[in-house]
Amino acid sequence: MSTPAPHGMSEQKTLTSYVVGFLLSLSFTLMPYYLVVTHRVAGTSLLITILTFAMVQLLVQVIFFLHLGRGASSQANIYFFVGTFVAMLVVVVGSIVIISNLHSNMTSLDQTKRIIDSEGIYQVSGELTGACRGHYPNHRVTIENGKVTPLLTIATKCDTLTFIDNDIVNVAITFGPHIHHTSYAGLDILSVPKAHTKTITLSQTGTFLFHDHTRPEVKGSFAVVDAN
Amino acid sequence: MKEFFLGRLTQDSLPHDWVTVGGTGTFIAMFLFAALILTRTKRWKWLWNDWLTSVDPKKIGIMYFLTAAFMLIRGGIDVILMWVQQALSSGSSHGILSADHYQQIFTAHGNIMVFFVAMGFIFGLINYIVPLQIGARDLASPLLNTLGFWLYIGGVVMVNMFFVLGGQYAATGWLAVAPLSGIAFSPGTGVDYWIWSLQISGIGTTLGAINFIMTILKMRAPGMTIWKMPLFTWGSLFSMLMAVAVFPLLTATLFLQFFDRYFGAHFFTALGGGDPMMYTNLIWMWGHPEVYILMLPAFGIFSEVVATFSRKPIASYTANVLGMAGVSALALSVWLHHFFTMGASADVNAFFGLITLVIAIPTAVLFFTWIATMHRGLIRFDTPMLWFLGFVTIFTIGGVSGLILAFPPADFQLHNSLFLVAHFHSNVIGGVLFGIFAGISYWFPKFTGFRLNERIGRNAFWCWIIGFCLSFVPMYILGIMGATRRLDHYDAQTGYQPFFILMLIGGLVIAVGVGLQIIQIVASIIQKGNLRDATGDPWNGRTLEWATASPPAFYNFTVIPHVITRDAFLDMKRLGLPEPHYEDITMPKNTAVGIYIAALAFLVGFAFVWHINWLAVVAMIGIIIVFVIRAFNEDSEYVVTAEEVKSIEEARIAATAAITKKSGAMSEQEDMSVREFVIYVYDFAIDIIRNKKWKSW
Amino acid sequence: MVNHEAHEAAADERVMFGFWVYLMTDLLLFSVLFASYSVLHGNTVGGPTGRDLFTLPLALQETILLLTSSFTCGLGLLAARSNKKWQTLICFGITFILGALFLSLEMKEFTEFIHSGQTLQTNAFLSSFFVLVGTHGLHITSGLLWMGVTMGYILKRGLNKALVRKLALLSLFWHFLDIVWIFIFTIVYLGAFA
Repeated sequence: MSTPAPHGMSEQKTLTSYVVGFLLSLSFTLMPYYLVVTHRVAGTSLLITILTFAMVQLLVQVIFFLHLGRGASSQANIYFFVGTFVAMLVVVVGSIVIISNLHSNMTSLDQTKRIIDSEGIYQVSGELTGACRGHYPNHRVTIENGKVTPLLTIATKCDTLTFIDNDIVNVAITFGPHIHHTSYAGLDILSVPKAHTKTITLSQTGTFLFHDHTRPEVKGSFAVVDAN
Repeated sequence: MKEFFLGRLTQDSLPHDWVTVGGTGTFIAMFLFAALILTRTKRWKWLWNDWLTSVDPKKIGIMYFLTAAFMLIRGGIDVILMWVQQALSSGSSHGILSADHYQQIFTAHGNIMVFFVAMGFIFGLINYIVPLQIGARDLASPLLNTLGFWLYIGGVVMVNMFFVLGGQYAATGWLAVAPLSGIAFSPGTGVDYWIWSLQISGIGTTLGAINFIMTILKMRAPGMTIWKMPLFTWGSLFSMLMAVAVFPLLTATLFLQFFDRYFGAHFFTALGGGDPMMYTNLIWMWGHPEVYILMLPAFGIFSEVVATFSRKPIASYTANVLGMAGVSALALSVWLHHFFTMGASADVNAFFGLITLVIAIPTAVLFFTWIATMHRGLIRFDTPMLWFLGFVTIFTIGGVSGLILAFPPADFQLHNSLFLVAHFHSNVIGGVLFGIFAGISYWFPKFTGFRLNERIGRNAFWCWIIGFCLSFVPMYILGIMGATRRLDHYDAQTGYQPFFILMLIGGLVIAVGVGLQIIQIVASIIQKGNLRDATGDPWNGRTLEWATASPPAFYNFTVIPHVITRDAFLDMKRLGLPEPHYEDITMPKNTAVGIYIAALAFLVGFAFVWHINWLAVVAMIGIIIVFVIRAFNEDSEYVVTAEEVKSIEEARIAATAAITKKSGAMSEQEDMSVREFVIYVYDFAIDIIRNKKWKSW
Repeated sequence: MVNHEAHEAAADERVMFGFWVYLMTDLLLFSVLFASYSVLHGNTVGGPTGRDLFTLPLALQETILLLTSSFTCGLGLLAARSNKKWQTLICFGITFILGALFLSLEMKEFTEFIHSGQTLQTNAFLSSFFVLVGTHGLHITSGLLWMGVTMGYILKRGLNKALVRKLALLSLFWHFLDIVWIFIFTIVYLGAFA
């Protein structure tokens, strides 16, 4: 790295390194540009190619311009550079992977609703955010001998709904029509083991179908309306 | 025209709620009182020259302590208000606070405790102790240090600004998660105060961290290789490395949120294609390591304390350092466990859950090195050691509850409940705060020249432990019962109320503990003749900070010591202390640049909060000008000649000898108890009133 | 006096190292902007995409300008270390002009977008584009300011040790900005057409 006194490098050598670095960088800029403009390669492989060129040019500039690895404090500098590079990869790749993974399971709208719910902040500056708080009436749906009672539950937003499985098998509650399921308030599946109960908060308004995923004929529905 | 000059600042912005008016009154009264005393004693100049513009890390450390202690009380009052609300607000009763107020208070509580109390104390300790431990006279860049400190103060003022100029504080929780912090849900000034308070102090933290990394890596005394560094220095190094890795992420994220709110960008607003989850993702990339940034120096403090008070070297130094390294590295890669329930698939959750569980391994290594150090040690149960033992107990509870939360299926049940809140507080109170208390009682003689009162210290410790259990054990139970966090009102049938009342009682016991800590300091000052530390080494210490006088001269060491082994000072004592000889010392000059830049940065933030664009531009140009002038100032150091050093040292030795003679007679007397303290204060007050001493003021 | 020089040399080394750590933190700040751009660049809400907006030849011009300025900046530092005052000033002068040209091209691109109604407020893609590229531009601006002031002091005081040290830091900063630009060029501009 360049410190006031060029450590172990003559002026001539430094000059050469700048010229070499400049020429190499120039070619590593023009080559990917040429590839993109001419569409010699396409799609993901093109993306990977140009990113590789960028990485190589990064190395070129670090070695020939920044002179990393030369000078008194070189080792610490290299460690910091490598560490930062790893951290950057974690930040960028981590974000891309995580966000796409989150979105493959939940839509932005569902996520927004759930953030509001799970932050437990139902109003900000006197304006309601749509989150539920406190305790609200409870509704029950019993599943016994393959029969759902009641078939339709009508509830107000923020009420709770308890599924009671009195059957001899475990039940997996899914929402919407069979096979092409939808989710309810970010919830894709609710498993209720036999002789157990599960409760959900009705934070999403509208009318919804539900059924047991293993026995699609065991089905019912519920409607959630706004309080006012 | 008015809008151009004042932005959105109007008369309505002045405080009118009882809480804010009370706060404003208190702040103004305290400020006036301080100003009055300074004017009467003619000390303004002294304050400015000797303290505010000082670049001495020891003085900056003390200023950090005072600010953080003040903010601890401020944040503590928030807790009591919250717990009173929760204890009362059941069924038809709605307690003392409106829902909006309650939200602002818990948001402020979180921000103040993490950024301005924990960070303040930790930076204060690092400032004071690290240069002494590594045998340095100063930090690598004294300017960056004072700048970092004043930016921290800028953040402190900003977070309390809504008291003075009204408006509101954020009501969005301590991390102001999008979209709640977006302009649609939070149109007021609250979130803007939040953004700029964190932004200003966060930049200060980054600068401070760079400075400490430079100092620790480049300024150690000759002979002190990296594997001979004291463990507190190691902990601080890891903490500062994490800080430079993640605080830039916070800075960038806050800027993005600011762009959303101020310029109408769409990073986190779903309407324009933005992604609220991106905010959650980015803020936790910083937010999770942030807690470890606080924790690692505390680990270091405990290592110093346990070795000194067990009168043994730390068991397996290398394992201890590697344990801290492991904790730091893993802490950077677990952030997703803060949003297990937001749609990540099972394998992603499992991956992050597993890494979270793995953190238990290096942490356990650290615990075993401490326990092994105590094994067959000659343990002294002074207050620092008590805080350490309290930490072992409470942090273990917090750690195990953390392991429960690390399982994604368990997290689906427990997230967003008071169980989580109890877990987090077990770790930050049991770990960070107890670490800070241990550190302060351990190094107090170094800071002031006299020890802290032991008896009252023990009382305070027990109040903290009992109060903590009274408030947080019920909190764990409430969490399992289903009580969510941030609950300002609940149904009477839930059966929560007895537990909330228990929590309030616990909180009051802790408040008594804090009161006792204040009494402890006052009693120690009254009794300082007895508690005097004349040798500079009250605990038979092992590391270099004890080789200096208590308190150290402004240049720390007359001669920079040569280090041979890890327990550098213990060696020096064994081999016989070197004869004093004196040399010229180059020291940095005091500078007010830090104050100017921080004040201008504060103005930038303030202008953006209230949309006063011209002020923001002017203040930014001001920062650039101050910066340029300073950068090309080539006269920032001065030399203390050997003769001057000699006369300072000889005067100190003479003064110490005189004190030792005087206090020798009274050394039999025991530390003051609380009862004796009350009697003393009573006699003192009666004496003033009877003899009309107040007339002479 | 020997003692004093050793003290100064050690201080120099620390400053260089500290500045390097600062550059690393700046790189991490950029990593957040890169992450946001990578995540959000597809969210145009029906508006034009990068492929519709960007002109590659312009981006290439900018890249070559910045790369050349990075090169002349290195030559300037070399001259400064050999204590050649005027050569230093000429090299940094060229660097300054190239940097300013780069900045003007970027401004031109931004104003064109804004005039065609594509602003920061339009959608998440443009928000992340403007902030990523704009932050780099802001760094370039501060680099130019720094360069201008330093050259002014060289004219006034001549080349002294302290100023050469400042030039070394400045050139580090300037090379660093070129490296960040490689990734902007690759990910934002070339990436849009990949």
